[in-house]
Amino acid sequence: MSEATMRELEVAVWRGGDSGGFVTYRVPERADQTVLDVVTFIQRRIDPTLAYRYSCRVGMCGSCAMTVNGRPRWTCRTHVATVAKGGRLSLAPLANMPVIRDLVADMTEFFDKWRRAKGRFVPAKESPKGFARVPPADPKRRAADAGIECINCGICYAACDVVRWNPDYLGPAALNRAWTLYNDVRDGDRLGHLLAVAGDAGCHACHSHQNCMEFCPKGLNPTASIAGLKRAVAGAYLKGEL
Amino acid sequence: MILGSGGAGLFAALHARRARPDLGITIAVKGLIGKTGCTRMVQGGYNVAIAEGDSVERHFMDTIVGGAWLPRQDLAWKLVTGAKERVVELENEIGCFFDRNPDGTMHQKAFAGQSFDRTVHKGDLTGIEIINRLMEQVLAADIGRLEDHRAIALIKTAQGDALAGVLMIDMRSGDFVFVEAKAVLLATGGGPTMYRYHTPSGDKSCDGLAMALRAGIELRDMEMVQFHPTGLLAGPETRMTGTVLEEGLRGAGGRLLGGDGKRFMAGYSPAAERATRDIVSRAIYQEMREGNTTPGGGVYIDMSHLGADRVRAEFKGMVERCADCGFDLAGGRVEVVPTAHYLMGGVCFEADGSTGLPGLFAAGEDTGGVHGANRLGGNGVANSTVYGGLAGVAMASWAANEGGFRDADGVAIDEAVGRARRPFSRPAGDINHLRQRLYDLMWEDVGIIRDRNRLRRAIAALDELGGALAGTGLGGQAPAFNLTWQDWLDLDSLITVGKAIAATALARAESRGAHFREDFPETGDHAQARYSVTRMRGKNLDIAMEAVDFSIVKPGESLIEDDAGAPPASRSGTEGRPES
Repeated sequence: MSEATMRELEVAVWRGGDSGGFVTYRVPERADQTVLDVVTFIQRRIDPTLAYRYSCRVGMCGSCAMTVNGRPRWTCRTHVATVAKGGRLSLAPLANMPVIRDLVADMTEFFDKWRRAKGRFVPAKESPKGFARVPPADPKRRAADAGIECINCGICYAACDVVRWNPDYLGPAALNRAWTLYNDVRDGDRLGHLLAVAGDAGCHACHSHQNCMEFCPKGLNPTASIAGLKRAVAGAYLKGEL
Repeated sequence: MILGSGGAGLFAALHARRARPDLGITIAVKGLIGKTGCTRMVQGGYNVAIAEGDSVERHFMDTIVGGAWLPRQDLAWKLVTGAKERVVELENEIGCFFDRNPDGTMHQKAFAGQSFDRTVHKGDLTGIEIINRLMEQVLAADIGRLEDHRAIALIKTAQGDALAGVLMIDMRSGDFVFVEAKAVLLATGGGPTMYRYHTPSGDKSCDGLAMALRAGIELRDMEMVQFHPTGLLAGPETRMTGTVLEEGLRGAGGRLLGGDGKRFMAGYSPAAERATRDIVSRAIYQEMREGNTTPGGGVYIDMSHLGADRVRAEFKGMVERCADCGFDLAGGRVEVVPTAHYLMGGVCFEADGSTGLPGLFAAGEDTGGVHGANRLGGNGVANSTVYGGLAGVAMASWAANEGGFRDADGVAIDEAVGRARRPFSRPAGDINHLRQRLYDLMWEDVGIIRDRNRLRRAIAALDELGGALAGTGLGGQAPAFNLTWQDWLDLDSLITVGKAIAATALARAESRGAHFREDFPETGDHAQARYSVTRMRGKNLDIAMEAVDFSIVKPGESLIEDDAGAPPASRSGTEGRPES
């Protein structure tokens, strides 16, 4: 066995529910190892009762996000070598959500807020025949495209200070979705999307700390989307539309 | 009751709700709604004949020729015609915002095995757009959600003449839950994750097909397993291994190199790296058998001659994914290996989703017959969304008009509970070792190149493995959110379905589409093509070979004037664009 494969990581893992504690495991360090692989190793080889979530393995489903050394990250695409400090990892469930068990956070509220933010397309009253013509260079399409690739992993929500202070706050992901819908020229109720996020727990609650932008694994910028919503809501009020 | 929340399950829920707003509809899924399954993972896009100059006849012929004349033709026809309606619905009602041409019209890209550029897409992450938009509509529609609920058995009436409900495990509590249902949709997806290298999401374990087999339901074309040529080889203990590097890399001019650093594809096909999936997968496998491999045991894909900046710009997602694993796709070489991708086979079903068992409907990758011996990239998501929607409407109507609640067979429930609880009464053992044996034997003996002796050896080994699993337990662990118990159940399903694949592959004494027999390397006369029907009786598998009904077009005939199944000669350079 080469020297490289004999090195071990010291991995502190949250065990239990909302109350619980960290348990430390020693996991062989390998080349090409992701944080999800470390979690899998612990469940398969050390403690078969460890609970965690994952699905696609390649950064598309947004199931496996956890708090890694204090920062929310997608674990399937996070290489151990880039985050382990001195061979140490600390793994906990995402913040700002109840814990189901161990590394599994309960995302129910996150998706309820997505719904409360009216985060869904509303068909036009009269459906177009065929497809709407929307040039990709159109500024509204570009604004929608900038936020559309969200995988609802909950990392921005877990990173958000305002969510922590105000449990009613809709949060960056739901607001980012509202912004893409407001810019979707095909949508049948664009003002309705603004109205849904115009309240106290909506876009105006954002303090622009930009944690969402900093932590988004997809490189999206929800802070900018929320700023756009603030402007659009104010503009709609001035015009008497809301 | 809908099992699964991919494209088929979510569409079925929405269409059932629209057809009968008064009915109670519930989606049950192994993970979270919209996050599990493979529709989400579609990279390439959605095949649909909407462009000027294209036609449903052309799409149909490509599907039939691509499927090596094995598809059930009425189902393939419904696929290509239904896709036209469904893609408009996805865009205008569900809210998917597909990519446009500069003038604002719908963009459609070229895909392998097709005679027209007809693949609608959203970048190279089309599945995320489709599933996120569907998920939002389902969340808004007050549809019941049983998340972290795993279905383990289809429970019939005591007479066995109809479905009564579904037995599930509430994964969070570890409790068993029996749900009575007037109608049930099997939409859990296939997912050949019993192979050493595989692409589907980790939660997929052929549960739907295993439940169907145990319920005595007929499956069609189970020997047809599609391998994608370029799975990432990231190391032996990482979940990244096996995930797809898209075919567009080869389409753009990417080269495959053996361990000796030399190209080899020209020796297998005049189209070299741009040959179709089955040919390239077999060629890579042959090189591997001959030992011409990389340190990791695969081959290299090399894009560097195209210029690192161009590769980075055109394949951003793939370059980033490789970079996360420490590989430089843009400027260096990356190790790849063929990887099990899709099951063409599945439950025998009608165009309205109904099956041979009253009350049971099926759609998507759980079904067989649409794709025949090979699936075109871009036809998978069309299949799940077209047939999911149709099944939703048919189920709603059936539940309202004919489907009362029926008394369940209590003995069957007890048996299924006993089967699932078995590991808790056995001493704790190492199921990782069993998983590895399953991966290895399926890969080596039931994989890309098959023959009689290897298949027979595999069937015996699978029987032995099933016995070993039954004797391997979890000791005194608690069942609540116990992933190792779920792993055990995954293996139970995968061994069951693996046996069906191996036994059916043994029964097909020819090579056709994705199925290649070294001892029968020729494809038989298309006019005599037969599809397989596999059914479990007790512990045995009955396999019948039935004549294909060429109800729309016969081999030697065509609905179009030029060739189907390949890009026109003038555009052959575009073959092998990104596929899902």
